[in-house]
Amino acid sequence: MSASTYASALGLEAAAVLLCAVVTLWRRSLGAIVRALAIQGLALACVAMVIGLHQRDPGLVVVGLLVLAAKAAVVPMLITRVVRGDPGSRETQPLVNVPASLVAAGALTFLAFAATRSVTALVPTTAGRLIPLGLACMLVGFFALVTRRKAVSQIVGILLVDNGVALVAFLATAGVPLLVELGASLDVLLAVIVLRVLATHLRSRLGPFDLDQLTELHD
Amino acid sequence: MNAGTLVVTGAVLGLGAGIAGVALPHRSRVTGAAVLLWGACALEGVAAVHVLATGHAVVLHSSTILPLTGVEVMLSPLGAFFVLLVALVAVPATLHGIGYARHGLASRTAACVFPIFVTSLLLVPTAGSVATFMVLWELMALTSLLLVLVGHGRRAEARSAASWYAVLTQGGAALILIAWLVLAAHSGGQSFAAMGHHARHLAPAVRGLVFVLALIGFGSKAGVVPFHVWLPKAHPEAPSPVSALMSGAMVALGVYGIVLVGDALLGGGPVWWWLAVLALGAVSALFGSLHAASSTDVKRLLAYSTTDNVGLALLALGASGLFAATRHPVLASLGLVATLVLMLNHAAVKGALFLAAGSVQMATGSSDLDRLGGLLRRMPQTGALFLVAAAAITGLPPLNGFIGEWLLFQSLLHGAATGNTATDVAVPLAVAALALTAGLTVVAFVKAVGIGFLGRPRSQGADEAVEVPVTMRLAVGLLVAVCVVFGVVPALELPAVERAVRTAVPGVGSALLAHGVDVQLVGLRGVLAPTELAGAMAVAVVGVMVLRRSLSRRPTARVVDAWGCGRQLQTARMQYTATSFAEPVQRVFDDVLRPVQDLDVTHVAESRYVIEAVTFHNAVDDAIERGLYRPVVRVVRRCGQAARALQPGSVHRYLGYGLGALVIVLAALAMIG
Amino acid sequence: MVGAGISSAVQVAVVAVGGPVLLGVMRKVRCRLEGRVGAPVLQPLVDIRKLFRKERLRPDQATWIFALAPVVLVSTVAVAAAVTPLVTTHPAFGAGSDLFVLVYLLLVGSTILALAGMDAGTAFGGMGSSRAVTIGALAEPALLVSILALSATAHSSNLAAIVRATLAGPGSVATPQRLFALGSLLIVIVAESGRLPVDNPATHLELTMVHEAMVLEYAGPDLAVVTVGEAMRLTLLLGIFVNLVAPWGVATTTHAADIAVGVASLAAKVALLGVALSVFEVSTAKVRLFRIPELLAGAFVLALLGVVSGLVVK
Repeated sequence: MSASTYASALGLEAAAVLLCAVVTLWRRSLGAIVRALAIQGLALACVAMVIGLHQRDPGLVVVGLLVLAAKAAVVPMLITRVVRGDPGSRETQPLVNVPASLVAAGALTFLAFAATRSVTALVPTTAGRLIPLGLACMLVGFFALVTRRKAVSQIVGILLVDNGVALVAFLATAGVPLLVELGASLDVLLAVIVLRVLATHLRSRLGPFDLDQLTELHD
Repeated sequence: MNAGTLVVTGAVLGLGAGIAGVALPHRSRVTGAAVLLWGACALEGVAAVHVLATGHAVVLHSSTILPLTGVEVMLSPLGAFFVLLVALVAVPATLHGIGYARHGLASRTAACVFPIFVTSLLLVPTAGSVATFMVLWELMALTSLLLVLVGHGRRAEARSAASWYAVLTQGGAALILIAWLVLAAHSGGQSFAAMGHHARHLAPAVRGLVFVLALIGFGSKAGVVPFHVWLPKAHPEAPSPVSALMSGAMVALGVYGIVLVGDALLGGGPVWWWLAVLALGAVSALFGSLHAASSTDVKRLLAYSTTDNVGLALLALGASGLFAATRHPVLASLGLVATLVLMLNHAAVKGALFLAAGSVQMATGSSDLDRLGGLLRRMPQTGALFLVAAAAITGLPPLNGFIGEWLLFQSLLHGAATGNTATDVAVPLAVAALALTAGLTVVAFVKAVGIGFLGRPRSQGADEAVEVPVTMRLAVGLLVAVCVVFGVVPALELPAVERAVRTAVPGVGSALLAHGVDVQLVGLRGVLAPTELAGAMAVAVVGVMVLRRSLSRRPTARVVDAWGCGRQLQTARMQYTATSFAEPVQRVFDDVLRPVQDLDVTHVAESRYVIEAVTFHNAVDDAIERGLYRPVVRVVRRCGQAARALQPGSVHRYLGYGLGALVIVLAALAMIG
Repeated sequence: MVGAGISSAVQVAVVAVGGPVLLGVMRKVRCRLEGRVGAPVLQPLVDIRKLFRKERLRPDQATWIFALAPVVLVSTVAVAAAVTPLVTTHPAFGAGSDLFVLVYLLLVGSTILALAGMDAGTAFGGMGSSRAVTIGALAEPALLVSILALSATAHSSNLAAIVRATLAGPGSVATPQRLFALGSLLIVIVAESGRLPVDNPATHLELTMVHEAMVLEYAGPDLAVVTVGEAMRLTLLLGIFVNLVAPWGVATTTHAADIAVGVASLAAKVALLGVALSVFEVSTAKVRLFRIPELLAGAFVLALLGVVSGLVVK
């Protein structure tokens, strides 16, 4: 793979990861948010596979396929099951309204860019220069975690943070060992399953709710 | 006659105008003072042109006028540019004041103080030492304060506006004085030349302190957020010629002060200075344009628009300093040119707008947009001139506002590729601020023109308005003509701006703009052809009009009732008001503006189920005044009331205070000695 | 210079005639997708001719702004069409064909139309003007930041320079910087020309009108001029967009053969984009007025992402 094709392909995929993160702040329908998450998983898998192909590292390509299976297929499917139990649910009144949260996402992207200047100097490869995009994805995911009301949106926020970390890991170290990636994916999978069970259980007891109302449970 | 003599003679003539205002009888008071004042403006203007043409500063020294400190005059090209700017606004404002005489400017106080105000404005850029500068600065502040009170001095709002103005202007002057004193103490002399010479050897902490103090002090005079709260209070109260001078000229002198300290004296500084300037500029621009879009009073709208334009000038200045600090002298020069052009354009346009608003107020008795309407048919020339000036301030080609915005955008655009982190982050955010400001300014001025001048009159005053006297129309027309000329042929103003930038700020790149009818950036890829653009637009308009006339069956239109989707009756009450026009913008920015809404429902006495009247009250007040200043005022008031415990009225207590103070001082002396 | 002048005139003529034809094509595609036969493709031109034959009317409270606004709208769009590289990269005054100049030229037309809406003194005019200037104000940040992102590669905001740079290096279109900026620009173009999902050009309901409310009082020749102006604006914006994305076929000289090829390629590309836009409009609903800021904020963030990508992806 030539250097310029590698650079442009990698750039497009990393940018797609960040774009999907921003789209989760933009759209209100939970189904669209989960679809954006699935596409992000696909882009992340492509990043791993492209880096693996460029460096002729089959382990990294396998990791990419694993990421594809886990983040682009299994996890979105699990969350869709939760969403489907609550049809027509939308993120109607986030704590910070949509235009303001989009502008905040833009500001966080610039913050990530300014903060990682010294880090990108350490890793002067084509992949290393894209690290700010991963950090920006993490920050956007954290922001979504803090400002969204529905449980599903917060799960999506956690997953965005995880995807951002994975992107930074792929770009900075040109891949993580298979075992580490397996372990991290398993952790996240477990967390999602637990959250899903909890969300379903709460909903069957209390009906559709938003997370702010949980404060009424304590006395 | 050399330039120095001209400056002094001009000053003398200006003072003479003030004396004429006191001495002359009622009828000829204002006109006599005006003629002398025009003479002063002309002399100062000629001196300024001479300095700009030759590029050499004029220095005068006299130790007899002011005892102890002496007076020093130093007219550098930068100062000369601002003298011309002041003269540009002062001449039409004085002309307008002749016609405005019935509204307060004919009193002896006003006729005396107004020329002195204008003279001090003309002389501040010529000051060459700290003492001269501060004397002239305080004179300017004091005279403008008196002029704010003239005319409506009895009203509570006028007094409140005057006290806010006085406190903020004195606070700013105090900070400026401290900055000068620190700089002079470390430079061993109070003349600007000496300070500029020694400034390079100062410690960075001292330079930083001086710059911050000067930024806050001059910023409060320029109307930078958060020190702008006096602007929307003082401008509606002052007579229109005074408001025009305050917004056009005095605010520009605030920016002059920042350029003087930051670039000319201190010779540029580290990145954080200019990031602060950029941030203040962006916030001022956004805040000003947002509040202008939500104001319902014309003069308040124009005052907030001043904050907006000063914010844009600070954006250009901050970008310029940032590029200078990161060693891109050509871009720094471009940014500074943009700053000066923006201030010059603002002076001409805002002067025209305020004078036209004054004409409207005189003709209709009100400056509240919700009481105006239909004025373009009743005051055709004033309305048309206001429309052109509003188009200029929103930056529409081919007028002068567009040139300034283009220069600002080009300096930011070419700075985006410099590779420095600070500029990489600051430039896109500055462009975003510039864009949103431009959009909100369009909202504000379409509202001002559309509600104020178009449609049906909303009150009797507007219905009975007649065109104002010729002098007032001529004054506005002069400034609008300047706007058009500088927009179509900017090559008339750009060489002067370039000279001012080049010789006042050493080390910055020279020969930025090539000469010719087009505006061309040297060394960067960017060209603007305003004359051809204006010509093309004129030809196109004429062509389309001819085409429409030839293709239609009958050339003239038949007058009918407005259709309004089939509604039979159209009254003035059915039109949009200023509040409703701005409602979509208010809704989007609700969290920032936080309008105060009040709903009052009165029921019929006999039954709670029948409603007699419903009153809805919606007001947008200044967010910074509400959030920052009112709590401070409350705390000060509480401290003052607590301190009343110190004054119970007992004579023994007061004498006891005196004895106690004496005892403490003697004890301290004993311990030290 | 003569060649440049003629090519500019050709551009203006193509935009002026092709605008209503483009509208006709878009309406026809929309009708067919909705299962109707639809009016012929040249119907808008026939409508314009019909309107010119009708009487010119003026509301009683209107001033000279009412008569001047349609003329200024068409003339500014015509000047913009003359100076931007639509058919050739060397139009007249091409040195001054800045993207910034273009944005402000179109702003002149929008502003004076907003004033004309308020001129008649009706409630609908004020409503249309208020909504239209708000949408314009919120679209400005996205527009200027995307121009910033697009200008970064050519180191100039001169449109001819950007098109020439894209012709020289076609791969530069596939960078995330360009794609984000173009995406943002497309949303802004839809907002500024009053198409779905921002504004429905076929509605006259008070709840949903934005642009139509401003021109409600126009009839006869004035309405014809306004319609032509709006069609020209849409064509111009789409033409600029296609030349930023796929500038192949644009003449790099002013020879007659190259210009003919340029005209044909412009017509084909704009028609294709118009059809795609029509298909999108059929499948989408109009966004609520107070959700439009969300859409425009999203466009703004896309443009910001474009700028950051430009700094990061080298």
